[in-house]
Amino acid sequence: MAIEALPTESPARGARPAAAFPVVQAEHLTKRFGDVLAVDDLSFALERGTVTGFLGPNGAGKTTTLRMLLHLVEPTDGRALVFGGRYGDLERPASRVGAVLEAADFHPGRSGRDHLTALALALGQEHSDGNWFVEREHAASRRVDAVLELVELSAAADRRVGSYSLGMRQRLGLAGALLGDPELLILDEPANGLDPEGVRWLRDFMRSFAAEGKTVLVSSHVLAEVQQSVDQVVIINKGRLVTFEPLARLVTHLSSSVRVRAPGARLLHTELEKQGIRAALMNRDELRIEGTSSAQIGEIAFAAGIPVHELVPEASSLEDVFLELTTEEPS
Amino acid sequence: MTDQLLSELRKMRSTRTNLGLLGGMIALILVFLLTIGLTGTGSDLADHDHQHRLFSIGTQAALFATLIGVMAITSEFRHGTIRSTFVVTPRRSRVIAAKVISSLLMGLMFGALAIGLSFGIGYAMLLARGAHFVLDTNDVLLLVLGTIAMTSLWAVLGVGFGAVIRNQVFAVIALIVWTGVVNPIIDSAVPGAGRYTPIAASASLTADPAEYLLSPLGGGLLLVAYAAVFVAAGNFLVARRDVT
Repeated sequence: MAIEALPTESPARGARPAAAFPVVQAEHLTKRFGDVLAVDDLSFALERGTVTGFLGPNGAGKTTTLRMLLHLVEPTDGRALVFGGRYGDLERPASRVGAVLEAADFHPGRSGRDHLTALALALGQEHSDGNWFVEREHAASRRVDAVLELVELSAAADRRVGSYSLGMRQRLGLAGALLGDPELLILDEPANGLDPEGVRWLRDFMRSFAAEGKTVLVSSHVLAEVQQSVDQVVIINKGRLVTFEPLARLVTHLSSSVRVRAPGARLLHTELEKQGIRAALMNRDELRIEGTSSAQIGEIAFAAGIPVHELVPEASSLEDVFLELTTEEPS
Repeated sequence: MTDQLLSELRKMRSTRTNLGLLGGMIALILVFLLTIGLTGTGSDLADHDHQHRLFSIGTQAALFATLIGVMAITSEFRHGTIRSTFVVTPRRSRVIAAKVISSLLMGLMFGALAIGLSFGIGYAMLLARGAHFVLDTNDVLLLVLGTIAMTSLWAVLGVGFGAVIRNQVFAVIALIVWTGVVNPIIDSAVPGAGRYTPIAASASLTADPAEYLLSPLGGGLLLVAYAAVFVAAGNFLVARRDVT
């Protein structure tokens, strides 16, 4: 299956109100670690209210890109912007951007509540200058209670994180990201290690988050994990952009071919060509036809009086397309 | 800054690390106090130098104070919490500053407790062994202030040191190698230089003025300089290095 070069311009978001600047923007973003070019001239821009899947095989540069967006990793070249500015230059950036980077980023001996409280205290509040310590502690603890409730972790909040399951840690990470009530969520492989129930919970969460007009950038190395929650995809491989397009458009790369077995395959081939349909003669009695439906082929065969023994639609899955896009072709 | 400081203080009291260090410090001081207090002869205990040594045992707290500072930063790198810390506070020098202040406060508390233990138990032992307390006010003042200054400064130095090294295990090993190997070599190999090492500078804080040491004030200032250099280096490196 061959896929022609894909267009890489930004997807049209027709009905949405145009924002002054993209929520997330990578401009010729490049990162070199020693000899390794982890991210290579990557550019894309995400509009408000979108859920974007950030896809690529392991080692494609997804994590490095997300960390550059969050000012954890300094780009070698190009710019990584959120809300039109560098993350590090934003005032209280965690009140606008929430991030879950690794499932294991906790001190095992600290309770979930203490972990969140430390983050909530550091985040602080707007206009808290002059507030007493106690007021700040109270505000943090209220915020922590709210996010614990949201991720359904209240019951386990006072246990040490070391005793949490992977799913609970993922939710604790998410709770931390939500402390500042952000408009943008950046999630790095959040579905890793989640059971099917957890994956569904996460999917519902992302959808409802986006339904409030907020933006999600979620990375994964498995398209199927995010397929049902994203409306567009940024696919990278070896640090380079492969494609950036709406999920709906990715679907059009699905090759829906039809395999036909007929004794008069040659004859059917000629008939199809007459109709302008391209068909490939696989062998003496077998044809492979792309770009049309099995119903139409059946009708053409019937009209030409050609008996057909088999008529099999063969659709590739989105996963096939993804693998095709990100697997290096042997050259 | 206040927010970051409250956050750091919360981190410090929400794991067992500092509790463990506190327990270790108390245990070590008790063992040393009892050893000196119980093995010394009656005339030993009445001796000025011997009593000075007894009440200096509180300075053992410096080791634990250093570990407070080292752990405050290296534990974040070890467990990956540094990522969320820097995502919430991208101005990394604020985080370092908050860790310096919170570690200094902890060091201060450890030092106060250590000198309190030394004097409380040490004095009780002198009484029990029938020895008179022979230290004068200057001695006592120097011991109290020196011990507290020492632990506070070592805690700060620990933050800087940990920020430079980052790796918790390497940082602790490097500390052991420094105190056990490098510092003694400098002492013996470079005559005259020994008094300028961080450990000698620290020792001069509570010691009776001796030829081989700086004055308490000089040593204290030198230790401040060491701590400042390590914090500045750590701050510089932490700001520059990628957090992967």
